[in-house]
Amino acid sequence: MKSGGMELDIVPVSGELNVGPQHPGSGHLRIFVKLNGDIIEDAEIDPGYVHRAVEKLGENRNYIHLIPLVERPAILDSVNMNLGYILAVEKILNVDVPERAQYLRSFAAEISRIASHLYGMGILAIFIGHSTGFMWGFGDREVWVQILEALTGARITNSYIIPGGVRRDLTPAIIEMTKKAIAFQRKKIKDWERIFLNNPNIKARLQDVGVMTREQAIEWGAAGPNLRGSGVYYDARKSEPYGAYSKLDFEIPVYKEGDGYARTLVRFEEIEQSLRILEQVIKDIPEGQILSDRFFKQIPPTRLKKWWEGQRRIVMPGYYASFRPPKGEAISRVEAGRGELVYYVVSDGSAKPYRLRMITPSYRSIYVMKNLLKGARYADLVSIYGSLDYFPPEADR
Amino acid sequence: MDSVKIKEYKKGESPFNVVSGHLQAVGAGIKYFVKPQRITLKYPDESMSLPTGYRGMIRLYKDVCIGCTLCAMVCPADAMKMVTDQGKKFPTINYGRCVFCAFCVDICPVDALKETGVHDAAFSNRRELIFNPEKFDQDFDQPPLRPVVRKVKAVIDEDKGIKYVPDTE
Amino acid sequence: MNILFDIRYYILYPSFFAPIILPGLIFTAILLLTTIWFERKAAARVQMRVGPYYASKRLGGYLQLVADALKFVFSEVIVPDGVNPTLFALTPVLVVAMSFLPLAVIPVSVIPPSGSIFSIYFYDFYDPNVGLGVLVGLFTQYNMLLILAIESIYPAMIILMAWSTNNRFAIVGAVRESYLSVSYDVLLLMSTISMALEYHTLDLVKIVQSGVPGILANPLAAVTFFIAMIIGSARFPFDIAEADTELVLGPATEYSGLLFVLTMAGSYVGNFVYALVFTDMFLWGWYPLSGFPGALLTVIKASILVFFSVFLRSVYGRYRLDQALRGSWKYIFPLAIASMFLGLVVGYLWIQ
Repeated sequence: MKSGGMELDIVPVSGELNVGPQHPGSGHLRIFVKLNGDIIEDAEIDPGYVHRAVEKLGENRNYIHLIPLVERPAILDSVNMNLGYILAVEKILNVDVPERAQYLRSFAAEISRIASHLYGMGILAIFIGHSTGFMWGFGDREVWVQILEALTGARITNSYIIPGGVRRDLTPAIIEMTKKAIAFQRKKIKDWERIFLNNPNIKARLQDVGVMTREQAIEWGAAGPNLRGSGVYYDARKSEPYGAYSKLDFEIPVYKEGDGYARTLVRFEEIEQSLRILEQVIKDIPEGQILSDRFFKQIPPTRLKKWWEGQRRIVMPGYYASFRPPKGEAISRVEAGRGELVYYVVSDGSAKPYRLRMITPSYRSIYVMKNLLKGARYADLVSIYGSLDYFPPEADR
Repeated sequence: MDSVKIKEYKKGESPFNVVSGHLQAVGAGIKYFVKPQRITLKYPDESMSLPTGYRGMIRLYKDVCIGCTLCAMVCPADAMKMVTDQGKKFPTINYGRCVFCAFCVDICPVDALKETGVHDAAFSNRRELIFNPEKFDQDFDQPPLRPVVRKVKAVIDEDKGIKYVPDTE
Repeated sequence: MNILFDIRYYILYPSFFAPIILPGLIFTAILLLTTIWFERKAAARVQMRVGPYYASKRLGGYLQLVADALKFVFSEVIVPDGVNPTLFALTPVLVVAMSFLPLAVIPVSVIPPSGSIFSIYFYDFYDPNVGLGVLVGLFTQYNMLLILAIESIYPAMIILMAWSTNNRFAIVGAVRESYLSVSYDVLLLMSTISMALEYHTLDLVKIVQSGVPGILANPLAAVTFFIAMIIGSARFPFDIAEADTELVLGPATEYSGLLFVLTMAGSYVGNFVYALVFTDMFLWGWYPLSGFPGALLTVIKASILVFFSVFLRSVYGRYRLDQALRGSWKYIFPLAIASMFLGLVVGYLWIQ
């Protein structure tokens, strides 16, 4: 450089800023921000940094092999990711799932939802600088992860739901743990409100930031809590009940404002609704099998005695290793933590799916985020990002 | 479909509420500062004993195994492969690929595979990650470098979230 | 014997003692480590964690900071391409130097004519306003103005630092810093002036020795000054210039190794300087003690204040730049004007 490096390039009033993909506030995502002073004129969102070709891999693996794979994109919400895929496969296989397994699926899915929302809260909190919210989110999540560990045998990579049922049964010890965890979470949410939700600092950062009207939310294709934060009553658990949701009593929190604070409130109230669902599941869960009769009968009787009667665990019959569902196609949708998750599976009669399509809720946040960022302040980049609860690996798949 | 209730939160608060909000937030901070709710596990000093059925590392019972290859077929990560040893087929496992889904344990028709509670292991190179049937046949045990390890159990507590109590077993 | 006496004479000489030992370099360096340790420990307590622990288990991880500092000292300082290396290395030093300077002119105690170890310097540091000596590096009767004038150079150094690193995030951080520095300097000056009007003096010693703590005489000015102090030393919720999720580390983005430590130290020292002024102006300083115990009382009060302001990290996020500016101009600035009127009225009625 001439003159000893003294000719420095000073950023003009309008300039570009390349945020990410390795930046403390971007996650695994690159955002080109065109700035005019402090105002974002345009933002170009460039996903794909953690793309792992789940859909293509899906065409080369057996159905059962895909269970751990489809969990990986949204590892913190793995039960819901798993459940959606299994629902689609079950439609092709045409199996009936026993009542108790349905309840267990809802049970695991709601724990996963709570854990996912707490994670999202934590990320939102650290994005706007609130480190206590970050640590509390992850600390509270630990309680639910412990329950999942006791139920499924793994902390987050649960692989709990298999075609026809679930792998393990609820034990009295887990019920006791869950009751305590529900009481703990209810108490903790009171403190969350004091330090986070009602904190004027947090309110200032979230209220009237990233406002999305009802019409815009529908037009831009927002999903899940982001959609409900804009006043649209839509939840796959209500509109097309799966699992045991048709028998459970819960509300869908909907807020009118459509800003970051409304989205945050929706998430907090969904945690409360999930706690209610867990209580109902514990109370109402029927006795019975947790695997469809069709597969249950294939388990060797000696193993059945040892595992199912001894430890309340299902072992897999050899059928699962490479089953060939009939020709057909199926679509399933579940309400994952971040919104509606859609799987489309096409079977050509072989042991591998012909096509696996996966539409994740985070992917639908990309366009929403791009639109919301226009005209926002630069500091709001992170609060909009956090309030949408965008999770890059889930969007990239 | 039940009745749709669209809520609104209260905007534009009075300065009094803002001040009380600040005081409440600082008060909540001080409350936790005085009475902390720690859930950190001081890992090398304390080690968590895992619940039964935890999907840790897997071991093989070679004398039970019938060499049916179901475990290798069901393995989602191709971690388990079959090798022929003295005319008999046995599985090997590559822990570099294993995702600990325990499908192999569940599908084994004779229960020749078992999940152990071990999950904290360290290897110095990739070759060691591949367990041949002889190594796979033994309980994996890596004694800790610092022997003073207190075994604790995580218990969910209504006030503290997670509490660690000494594991008496 | 004589040499020992000479050494003692020079060490205790206030122009050496104050800038180097008690509120100065050595004490501030220790306080710096303690503050950062406290910040991490306090945040950890609130956040369900343990915080620094393994570096020295008996001391609660206090030596972790020493370990961190050692690690930084021995790590490579990376000088980016296309910057002027001299400026790049010099500016963090300037930042720290500028933040330390005011410590030389802040009075921390008074010297009685006899009975204190400092009594031999009574006449050299005689303050005619109160009729006592003052324990300060450089005595002037206008020390309130001088402190604020020196402290207001500090943000300029931050901006210079950001400019010399040639990084876009740093420049955005510098712009934020410049906006903020204008707004908090106004608040600091106005609350200081309101106290000056009320006590009819620009001498902090006289305010302390008057026997009425400033926080009772003018609570509005105390609130204003406290908020301005939090903004000025970039504590939460006004950690706006170096907002890490938005700007990586703002002006300090490009720094590594020892230079990075220096960039971080500046704001903590600045916080301590403001806290000392706050203690003298509003919290009664050393009163009713004098001499060395008085100095201790002053720095202990100031340290508690510093600890409280770093504790806010575990309660708050950060405001947006425009919100901080709106807050300080729309809500705190009228408060500052009100505090000035209060100072005028009370000062008029209460002639000392």
